[in-house]
Amino acid sequence: MIAADVIIVNKLGLHARAASRLVNCASGFAAEIEIVRGTRSVNAKSIMGVLTLAAALGTELVIEADGPDEQQALEAVVALFQDRFGEDE
Amino acid sequence: MTLALTGHAVARGIAIGRCHLVERNELDIGEYRIGVDEVEREIQRYRNAVEAARRQLEELAGRVIQNVGIGAGEIIQTHVLMLGDSKLQDSTEQHIRREFCNAEWALQMQLEQILSEFRSLDDAYIRSRGEDVAQVVRLIQNKLNEEAADKPFENMPDRLADTLVISSELTPGELAILHERGVGGIVTEHGGPHSHTAILASSFGIPAVMGVRRAQALLREGETLVLDGGLGVVYADPDEAIHSHYHQVQRITRRFKKSLEAIRDLPASSLDGQLISLQANAERPAELQLAREQGANGIGLYRTEFLYLQGAPPEEEDQLAEFASAIELLGGIPLTIRTLDLGADKSTDYLDFSQLRRCTNPALGLRAVRLCLRDTDLFKTQLRAILRASALGPVRCLIPMLTSVQEIRMVRFLLDEAREELDARSMAYDPDMPIGGMIEVPAAALAIIELAPHLDFISVGTNDLLQYALAADRVDEQVAHLYDPQHPGVVRLLRYIFREANASRIPATVCGEVAGDRQYTRLLLALGLKDFSMHPGRLLEVKQVVRETDIPKAKAALTRWFNTTSTETGSSLLKVIDDSQRSG
Repeated sequence: MIAADVIIVNKLGLHARAASRLVNCASGFAAEIEIVRGTRSVNAKSIMGVLTLAAALGTELVIEADGPDEQQALEAVVALFQDRFGEDE
Repeated sequence: MTLALTGHAVARGIAIGRCHLVERNELDIGEYRIGVDEVEREIQRYRNAVEAARRQLEELAGRVIQNVGIGAGEIIQTHVLMLGDSKLQDSTEQHIRREFCNAEWALQMQLEQILSEFRSLDDAYIRSRGEDVAQVVRLIQNKLNEEAADKPFENMPDRLADTLVISSELTPGELAILHERGVGGIVTEHGGPHSHTAILASSFGIPAVMGVRRAQALLREGETLVLDGGLGVVYADPDEAIHSHYHQVQRITRRFKKSLEAIRDLPASSLDGQLISLQANAERPAELQLAREQGANGIGLYRTEFLYLQGAPPEEEDQLAEFASAIELLGGIPLTIRTLDLGADKSTDYLDFSQLRRCTNPALGLRAVRLCLRDTDLFKTQLRAILRASALGPVRCLIPMLTSVQEIRMVRFLLDEAREELDARSMAYDPDMPIGGMIEVPAAALAIIELAPHLDFISVGTNDLLQYALAADRVDEQVAHLYDPQHPGVVRLLRYIFREANASRIPATVCGEVAGDRQYTRLLLALGLKDFSMHPGRLLEVKQVVRETDIPKAKAALTRWFNTTSTETGSSLLKVIDDSQRSG
């Protein structure tokens, strides 16, 4: 298993559109991908799980990936966070 | 007598029309036992219903993306993701297996559990996503019971242009169907400003008031209603004063839209006869199409980040295919492709965590061309794709976030390598493809004289440039008030850029948000800008201002403002320039 820290840098946080893009991206990999906020952990391939994290601007999260393509999965998910989920803000 | 009902003002606009009440049929969800031998059949029945719901929503999402845009379609796609979410699907199937009950009931039990999770959250926006889950579950339940299902559109006319639809609630999918039928406005009893239906109404441009209590009971089928989506009011049986007021507001709005339509095919030339180039920022097919329809002179900013957010980095051929289809859609107008502008550290050693943490300020870190110059294989793959695209049509290459001449030299060196690699493979490209730089770094802006000899054009990214120049993040609400395009320092910086670019004889474009904001059009013209690039939906509004501007007068007003600004700091620059247009 590998992991990386991310900080939410888009203004709206993990709102529905960003969450959808995250779930779509994560679902493209075989690896299990978990998003951890404090003591809570959700499946990155579950839209409802990701939404209930209620992660706003500035929230620190840990992404964990475990599986054959964990490296690419983690890179793709981290890139998505840093690119503000493709939003301008 | 006029009856005024109030609710949440969720989508601006005026609608006047006939009231249509939607008859909704609440499904009665009961629990019944099934035999052990019926479990697999029940699960299959459940899966079929989910599949039917998915087909319906995906088809709708596809139409919305095509006709309205990707953002609106994504809202409906969120519901598709919820349909297949393991939290719903797996646990519903487990419930059927464990409790030997019908699928509708198992689904209801899961819904209640998920809703209680959402209700416990502090964030009002996220909390209201529980509504989306409830809507998705109801859709599946309706698919499980086709005969008893809720059919809100059964008694509804096909054309709704002069109709206001009143319903207890509406899902985003239902709203999309109403939009296709040209609905005039909507009123719902439930749902708030954070609901996806509200967000979608706003992007469709449908005036809407939500959360109007007892609307169904108080309004009558067929009566005339006036709806003010900006105020959050719906009037029934409006008196003469209300009627004529809103008719006039509607007339003014229509006249504005018509005045824009009227100049669609006219040139963007100022009153004093200067021809201004108006380009579009676009990458998705729908936006490219819109850009052409609105008469854009080219695509001034084609972003490529979307290619990099699908797992593995895109191959040269994949990128070329995207560029080629854009070129084909554009039918001969130039395409300016911006190289990768990601902020992520995607080089192979990026999983060195200590280094990742060190990137505490992404805006000032390893991003855009800085990243590309570090991961040269990634960058050259893209450069080869762009070069090959240049053989297919007029293509320009734009390098984001340039800081120094040294960086341009490195980019040019890599371009030479890319050309040699293509020569070795006998691939065609335009040897004279223009190379431009995005001016976003303030120090680069002040070094235009040094950068210009190495570039064929510049494009000023005002969003980032202003943010860096004012040291204020425009999306941070606490400092957003400092983000001011009229700040004298910003105005001087822009004047310097355009003046020096002109003296160095290289063309300059602005592709930030101010380029598409009609209140800044005259200021930019006064500063000497001749090429704007903006969201394609803004082209006509900006063209209208260009056509109503006398540029020499605006320039004179700007000079006067610079000379008096130290004594009259309170005077608004935009107003001074606007006033200059009225004097004889």
